[in-house]
Amino acid sequence: MQTHLSRLLEDDEFVVTAEVGPPHGADEQLLVHRVIQVKDYCDALNLTDNVRGIPTMSSMVCSHFVRDCGVEPVMQMSARDRNRILFESELYGAYALGIRNVCFMTGDHSLLGSHPEAKMVYDLDSIQALQLASHLMSGKDLAGDELEGTPHFYLGATFNPYADPLELQAWRVNKKHEAGARFFQTQAIYGITRFEKFMGCLDVNAIKILVGIIPLKGPRMARFMNRKIPGIKIPESMIQRLVDAGDGLSGNEKRGAVRSEGIRIALETIEKVRAINGVDGVHIMGVGWEESIPTLVEEAGLYPRPKKGE
Amino acid sequence: MMELKNKEDILEMLEGYGKIVLFGDSGCAQMCDVGGILQLEDMTDFLTDHGKDVLGYVFVEGGLCDEFATKQELENHKEMLEKADAFLVQACGVATQNLTEMIPEKISLPAVDSDFLGTMPERFHHDERCSMCGECVLHLTGGICPITRCAKGLLNGPCGGSMDGMCERDEDTECAWQLIYDRLKEIDKLDNIKRIWEMKDWSKEHGPKTVVHEAKDALFQ
Repeated sequence: MQTHLSRLLEDDEFVVTAEVGPPHGADEQLLVHRVIQVKDYCDALNLTDNVRGIPTMSSMVCSHFVRDCGVEPVMQMSARDRNRILFESELYGAYALGIRNVCFMTGDHSLLGSHPEAKMVYDLDSIQALQLASHLMSGKDLAGDELEGTPHFYLGATFNPYADPLELQAWRVNKKHEAGARFFQTQAIYGITRFEKFMGCLDVNAIKILVGIIPLKGPRMARFMNRKIPGIKIPESMIQRLVDAGDGLSGNEKRGAVRSEGIRIALETIEKVRAINGVDGVHIMGVGWEESIPTLVEEAGLYPRPKKGE
Repeated sequence: MMELKNKEDILEMLEGYGKIVLFGDSGCAQMCDVGGILQLEDMTDFLTDHGKDVLGYVFVEGGLCDEFATKQELENHKEMLEKADAFLVQACGVATQNLTEMIPEKISLPAVDSDFLGTMPERFHHDERCSMCGECVLHLTGGICPITRCAKGLLNGPCGGSMDGMCERDEDTECAWQLIYDRLKEIDKLDNIKRIWEMKDWSKEHGPKTVVHEAKDALFQ
């Protein structure tokens, strides 16, 4: 399956994808507003799928709106909330809506979110979900029944270089590739050493890797992420830089200075990861700070983005 | 593993019933400190203090799940049972359902919430170990169950939230896949988890189940 994203990755263009948070409710205009902010600064746009088990507008529906805005969506699908029946049905629907890039993830434990009472599904894990999507592309469903219309997707998955045990996490990347994943998005990268070590364990020529970037708004956000977001490891030295940037300042001035430092840290990270063999692009997650994405892309010298079809 | 429901819930459950008989056993109920002799006596005091007439208790050696042993005890306490308005069962859900089926003319009520199947490394400490999924994989995982002990029940785990040997869910839960990895490394069987594990057949887990064993002369005949 050729998509704008896959074409750029195969042409060895340094790719920029971004992520927007779907609304915590039914207002699609909020989504459209966020998409318009970032659409010219990325090659494809991820729609997250109930991150941390907090319900947001369906990633499939959001992907549809994103297409309407003229941007190529990457629909995320979490194994936490679906069994194989819903995976199949949604994949048919997504394809019919013109959604071609799909990225599978395990999904955070629901105890970390706002609905800890929920019953989690995990009928499949993310690897088996990839297997399922690959299987559907053969024209048959899991029961062996002929499909009325065969979907063709460009499949992706995620990995977290900071997760343990490292060797087993690296094998999981291989398994995901074997199951059909062609591109990978990483958890947000801060400390480079461990990321380099992890990359050293992968067959980077076989897969495309987009490095996760989350610009930090300030020390409070950094500490919150270390505490609450699974798999995030922000070094204390980085948090200190954010603290120091706001030292002696107050109000808007302080806010501006701290945020600029957050942008600087993200830019440095982009520069460092670009130099690592096997890195094919960046995946910028705004997490509520979408305005940072255009700044980052421009200042990293990654703007303008190649036009579709060029 | 089971726990006594809170006292208010038990009283509410017994509303309208005056004469109560308690049930316990020397098996899981006693091991979990919900239906041993001590707890039956405590419950007697508690209910008496709240105006109930506790006629006595039936204590089964072994488990209330053992129909044969239970019927024997029911026979021994026939007179007392006949006078009762309700039975309060300080054992698992199987026990309450067993009694409901054996003495349908009386009402059997659960005094406990049944939580999980596990092990008891020491008194008052229980760890979950088995989900009864109907398809055991322990031979591949070095004897550590990923279905039960991974918070997400993953088969190709661990997820990206596993750090320093601990699960993303909370700081006290060990990552089952880290344990599996360490164990398989120890016994030189890491190849078991290098390959993709196919989608699980959950139909083997779905209840209600009934198994009828044929009489067998020899194992695996």
